[in-house]
Amino acid sequence: MSTNSQDRVEMFRTMVRIREFEERVKRTFAEHPGVIRGHTHLADGAEASIVGSIAAIRPGDQVMATYRCHGYPIALGTDTTAMLAEIYGRSNGLCGGYGGSMHLADPERGFLGTSGIVGQSIPQATGAAYAAQIRRAGDVVLCFFGDGASKQGAFHESLNIASLWKLPIVFVMENNSYSVSVRVEQEDANAAAGEPLATKAKAYSMPGVTIDGGDPDVVYETVAEAVSRARAGEGPTLVESLVYRLSAHGNSIAPPGVPLHYPEHEAVTVFGDVAEYEAAKRGDPVPRFRGALVTGGVLDAARADAIVAEAADEMQRAVDGALAGPEPEPADALRFVHA
Amino acid sequence: MAREITYIAAIMEGIHQEMSRDEDVLLIGQSVGGSPEDPFVAAFGPDRVRVTPISETAEIGMAAGAALAGKRPVVDCTMAEFLLVAMDQVVNEANRFHYMSGGRVTAPLVLKAGYGFTAGWAGQHTGSIYGMFMGVPGLKVALPSTPADAKGLMATAIRDDNPVLFLHHYLLTLETGDVPEGEHLVPFGQAAIVRPGTDVTLVATGWTVHRALEAAEELAADGVSVEVIDPRTIAPLDVDTVLASVERTGRLVLVDQATRHASVSAIIAAEVAEAGFASLRAPIVQVTALDAPIAYSKPMEDFVLPDVAKIVAGVRRAVDVTLPHDAATAVR
Amino acid sequence: MTASVHRDVSTAAPTPDVLRDLLTTMWRIRAFEERVGALKRADEVHGLIHLSIGGEGVAAAVCRQLRDGDAVYSGHRAHGHAVAKGTPLDRTMAELMGREGGLCSGMGGSMHLVDVAHGFLGATGVVGGNIPLALGSALAAKQRGTDAVAVVFFGDGAVQAGLFTESVNLATLWRLPVLLVCENNGFAEFTPRSAHTTVERVSDVVAPYPLPRTTVDGNEVGEVWSAFSELLARARAGEGPALLECLTHRLRGHYEGDPDRYREAVSTEDWQRKDPILRLQRAGHDAGWLAADEPAALEAAARAEVDEAVAWARSSPFPAVARAAALVESGGAR
Repeated sequence: MSTNSQDRVEMFRTMVRIREFEERVKRTFAEHPGVIRGHTHLADGAEASIVGSIAAIRPGDQVMATYRCHGYPIALGTDTTAMLAEIYGRSNGLCGGYGGSMHLADPERGFLGTSGIVGQSIPQATGAAYAAQIRRAGDVVLCFFGDGASKQGAFHESLNIASLWKLPIVFVMENNSYSVSVRVEQEDANAAAGEPLATKAKAYSMPGVTIDGGDPDVVYETVAEAVSRARAGEGPTLVESLVYRLSAHGNSIAPPGVPLHYPEHEAVTVFGDVAEYEAAKRGDPVPRFRGALVTGGVLDAARADAIVAEAADEMQRAVDGALAGPEPEPADALRFVHA
Repeated sequence: MAREITYIAAIMEGIHQEMSRDEDVLLIGQSVGGSPEDPFVAAFGPDRVRVTPISETAEIGMAAGAALAGKRPVVDCTMAEFLLVAMDQVVNEANRFHYMSGGRVTAPLVLKAGYGFTAGWAGQHTGSIYGMFMGVPGLKVALPSTPADAKGLMATAIRDDNPVLFLHHYLLTLETGDVPEGEHLVPFGQAAIVRPGTDVTLVATGWTVHRALEAAEELAADGVSVEVIDPRTIAPLDVDTVLASVERTGRLVLVDQATRHASVSAIIAAEVAEAGFASLRAPIVQVTALDAPIAYSKPMEDFVLPDVAKIVAGVRRAVDVTLPHDAATAVR
Repeated sequence: MTASVHRDVSTAAPTPDVLRDLLTTMWRIRAFEERVGALKRADEVHGLIHLSIGGEGVAAAVCRQLRDGDAVYSGHRAHGHAVAKGTPLDRTMAELMGREGGLCSGMGGSMHLVDVAHGFLGATGVVGGNIPLALGSALAAKQRGTDAVAVVFFGDGAVQAGLFTESVNLATLWRLPVLLVCENNGFAEFTPRSAHTTVERVSDVVAPYPLPRTTVDGNEVGEVWSAFSELLARARAGEGPALLECLTHRLRGHYEGDPDRYREAVSTEDWQRKDPILRLQRAGHDAGWLAADEPAALEAAARAEVDEAVAWARSSPFPAVARAAALVESGGAR
């Protein structure tokens, strides 16, 4: 399976849009202090993995993810103004300001939602795959989570059942080597032994593969194969997608009144490993893919620049639209407690 | 047409009828659908009825995910304490989706679990632990005390668009009662006055409803008329029916098998103290389990639990006091 | 503890003396469990009772190699492990009968036996809940700088629970002196293993993790002894955790009173072949270390000991009821 030139340019466009979106979230802390409350988690560095994965599914398929959830809806076509308005807590937000950054949902586009608790969306995605299996329309579920989640019991229980019931699901583990500020080899027996985390698939009689999550072509090919396997009723696959998160785990955590900001990456702040972080920056998947497309003659530099400019304009409109959005009515806090 | 069947049969009939009515209703759990002869597998097939491993987090999390994707799963969680293994999924996931998505998604599912098995099961299988669920926003909690309510509340739970915790009392499992055939729905948030009376209001749930009725019978012989109320669901909780009753009787005794500080009775006492103070002619009396785990040995098990004698004594304490009406009306 | 104690750790096959000791322990467990079943039917033991008849070989071969300072954790099917670890029969029986003289003064019952003095740290009533507890004991032993170990018994049903993998990962990562002993009887409560997972062998579930794993016939006592002694020696030497999978058969239903309609019944003939006690006796006769009349004597001694235990338990009063509320919190503090 491979993508044609047009698809690859569209993948690049989506990667750029995600990056621009996340940059605007980050800049909001400095440019509009107090507008974003609580905690945000950015997808910068994982764009190739997200876009390559979602390029492999079709309408009717579904996606569930973690609290680091801004990238997936963009790739699925969700309106970025509604997303940013949600992160700004406005009533024109995607979820009316009820959820915020960690709880985006867009069921019409197959994005069923997220959990703010590590690992807990894995059984939920598995349940959505059970629903898909018995709906018999050939739909598949993509389940995204991080390396830290693979130490949660929910991971073990869900992968066992998904394999046992041959559910149409692809487990995409974005291994960014850090659980907040803990390095993966500090908490994972496989990593400590120098093994890939995809090794864990062995316990479930399930294929497990480890791939370069910085290359959208590789991600697409791998996930597309797993998706077609799932669609054919052959069961789940564990894809370990190696990525590097280019921002800190999340924005700073502070009591109300203290301005929030994005600290430096934990490689630097916790481990003092500037070289690691600089190397990761040099491997940034967005310029890397641009380079591949330009060198390969798929995209010329001027068009690439235009894509970046268009994305910047779109995200400026999103910021403007989100800032202009009204605050919700306080008493609306009592709506939606029950369906 | 009603006929007499057991409490557990009524629950399973409720599930069966809803599964016949709506093909999106599923039944999964560690003790269902384990063999092709299982009546639910036979009726609805292995797509809709599946045995699960001992994986509580996955069972309940999968129910939430299947619900988000349009299904209406019933999870047989066996015992209420097993919910604790998967606490995040019970109180922090499915119940929040509708709200945090601003109403964009719903998670209709039912968690069926038995509780209160005070028959020598000791400290990990006997709790009446609904206190830790009843205040969780977005989660509804039903506690049926009769076979008819068990069927009707289960059917309502399955049709409800929210996560519902359906807690059936183990000591009632084989109790029988008249249960309507065919469709039977019991609304949530509507208490039942199971015995009308004029002197004291007695509120009880589950197995203690029957102990309260025995106590009321005993007290009637002494000329004390007891009104017995069963809230049937504790989230939503029908406080109005209790307040209206207290307005007539002036006295309130609350019976609860839960530990005193995690009980429904504590919540009702607080609500009535705030909204019904002017009606009260005596202090509210709570007859609850003591704040202790359930010991294995029978004499100690009995010691911590409410029983008919303790309820009768509680009612006598309430009727022995009469506050002057002036004191109460002063705060009106 | 009346039986002689052989606690040499050797990876060689067990000596005849060791095997005779194991046989003695197995008869004590068998006699104890059969009596518990009878007392349950007579309502002298109440609540939910899970018997370990058929699993005596694993309990004996593992626990008889341990010291009082080693921690053993069991689950809901705990009687055999407790007895093998050295809990006195009389106080163990008294606990099951809810008496003041019981190991836990009648507070815990069958699923919550604890005997700290003999290193039986306890049974737990929720499947798999004991596994992380054992890791904690192993961590404490390691931090104290001793060569003590922790052993946890669990069934194959617990392996599909999330805390199993959480525990395997941490035990391996931290090289904890913990031995995971899985009694794989092919059934999780009421359903066969094939309904729970595609992975038949529990040892294959830990295949992704770098720890030693061995599968043995749990009805072959010598095999269990040898496999466990090797893993135990590693753990004592600071080389970390291991998993021992013992393939067993649950002779009784999941609990006493279980109608047991979900399994193929084992024929008497088949069971004669599998029964770990009969197998060990046959092996003993063949090898010449067991005289023809010894089994009957061992059985009689075990039954007499159980008779005494029951008599003692019956003489113990029911607990004073006020204790039910008095022990909720420990009075201690530091």
